[in-house]
Amino acid sequence: MTTHLENPNMEARLREIRDGIDQGRFPAYVFNNQEIFDLEQEKLFGQAWTFLAHESEIPKPGDYVTRYIGNNNVIVARDEHGEIHANLNMCRHRGNMMCKSEMGNASHFRCSYHGWVYKNSGELIGVPYLAEGYEGKLKRKDWGLVKSRIDTYEGLVFGTFNEDASSLEDYLGGFQFYLDLYLKQGPNGSEVHGPPDHWITETDWKIAAENFAGDGYHTPVAHQFGFNLGYFPSSGATHSQGWAASIPGKGHGIGLGHTPGFTPFAGFPEELTAEIKKSLSPDQVEVFSSTRTAVGTVFPNLSFLMQPFSLIPGETGVRFVTMRLYHPIGPGKCEMYSWCLVPKDASDEYKAAAYQAYTLTFAQAGTFEQDDLENWARLTRMAKSSAAKGIEFPYLMGMETERDEDFRGPGHVVKPYVNDSNFRNLWGRWADYLLGEV
Amino acid sequence: MTALSTVDRAIQEDIKEFIAREALAVDERRFRDWLDFLAEDITYDVPLRVVREGLAEWELSPTGRIFQDNKQTLEVRVRRLETDFAWAEQPPSRTRHYVTNVLIDDSDKAGEYEVASYCLIYRSRGDSIEPNFVSVFRKDLVRRVGDSYQIARRWAAIDQAIINAHNLSIFI
Repeated sequence: MTTHLENPNMEARLREIRDGIDQGRFPAYVFNNQEIFDLEQEKLFGQAWTFLAHESEIPKPGDYVTRYIGNNNVIVARDEHGEIHANLNMCRHRGNMMCKSEMGNASHFRCSYHGWVYKNSGELIGVPYLAEGYEGKLKRKDWGLVKSRIDTYEGLVFGTFNEDASSLEDYLGGFQFYLDLYLKQGPNGSEVHGPPDHWITETDWKIAAENFAGDGYHTPVAHQFGFNLGYFPSSGATHSQGWAASIPGKGHGIGLGHTPGFTPFAGFPEELTAEIKKSLSPDQVEVFSSTRTAVGTVFPNLSFLMQPFSLIPGETGVRFVTMRLYHPIGPGKCEMYSWCLVPKDASDEYKAAAYQAYTLTFAQAGTFEQDDLENWARLTRMAKSSAAKGIEFPYLMGMETERDEDFRGPGHVVKPYVNDSNFRNLWGRWADYLLGEV
Repeated sequence: MTALSTVDRAIQEDIKEFIAREALAVDERRFRDWLDFLAEDITYDVPLRVVREGLAEWELSPTGRIFQDNKQTLEVRVRRLETDFAWAEQPPSRTRHYVTNVLIDDSDKAGEYEVASYCLIYRSRGDSIEPNFVSVFRKDLVRRVGDSYQIARRWAAIDQAIINAHNLSIFI
């Protein structure tokens, strides 16, 4: 048997994968493979916009967090003028890591090796023995920290070292329409409630990215306990209602779960509902009025979930939002970052209730999270099986489904929500990046 | 402050036995029994740890929590484990809570004791030969109730900032 791994021609293999996606097939081995991982690091995470931070994590001048673009550790800092910068966390002199904590406040960073000092904007301002040692040959302006491009949307800060990448607006390509549900929770938008959880999991980032791109199919089974205990006010059958929306050619996708009879915007803070509607367009108000659960992925590895949750089965409860990033650290292995986003203008009581719903359901000890990761870790393990090298998975759902022309949101939108169209779009974009055809 | 607790030695022995039996209930997966060790008004918190500079105001997030539970939410977790669909615990984790360095002091209230302890949790899953180790510092409040005790507060800080377990489907 000829396996894909023995095939030396990566480009030919990728073209085969690319063609397979359009026919509803995708290979198993890519979910845990060193060559694919290496290629992703170079061609995808080295090229695309990567999510770095939410602006509310660094509200004051000097606030910083350290995050990653691919395998590059970067300092994301707000300077004394309020402007946000992202710089490689590496001293330009001999390469020491500048900042060893994951968050804090600093006007300057001083290297603990030879003492070079940089402003939090990345500008080199201090070099010991500059005159005596360098004899005028070193110009500080030439040796600032390696700068990443950054761009923002509604509080989300993205970065890339790719000078040729198109704007973030173009990259998101209309997906902003759907992101607003998570990001415009009132006049002043959303904010993080505390720092993110992060933990290491033997899960390939792609599995999580696909699941959150709108996998309504798994919910009644993977999270069956939730239906069993009455935490979903619907059966598995009605839970599959709703829409799958994707931005063709961009990779982004979202599942909008609909439950008949659900009160529009229920679970948002009552005092804010009118304000939230005002911050949205009439089309968004109509679409989100029918949405009970919304789960989406910004290509490649940033996801969001909003759903109402009550401890008392049958009651609406509060809407909580989790934002998560799947940072790849090896084939079949990623670091999960998980935040809770709350409406900035909500009461402290609402924020606390939303955060509690989040910790009970989707933080690292969350009851839903636990089950997903159990499944994903086993899937990742199986993807490495030698017998799985030649097999493909079916991505055949909704191949023939026409766009729902009554739906007022952008992109390719189909119903029911149980559909593979978002995933074909996601993996199509992934293959485009790996082929260098973006 | 004296180096030794003013709490009666016999009471200290009782409390040590009580928390050892609590650990046994969890490790034997007698979760309904375990709930009886917890007061109705229990607060059960595991704060998020963040890697910070030595002079930072905090290392344990004031707002971020891994667990932020009360009796009602802990019952939800136990009810979930009692269904056939708690996949994260199918097959179940094998845990062992090693509780040491127990220090018992009086609280502000009669009949309630501040109980600090170290707890090393060993967790084995399925056929994996790589167990999870979770090292924890606990600050509990233990309340005298009738002939026994109940935990009125569990506060447990995990020493590791990034936890090398794919989930935390266990109790701390």
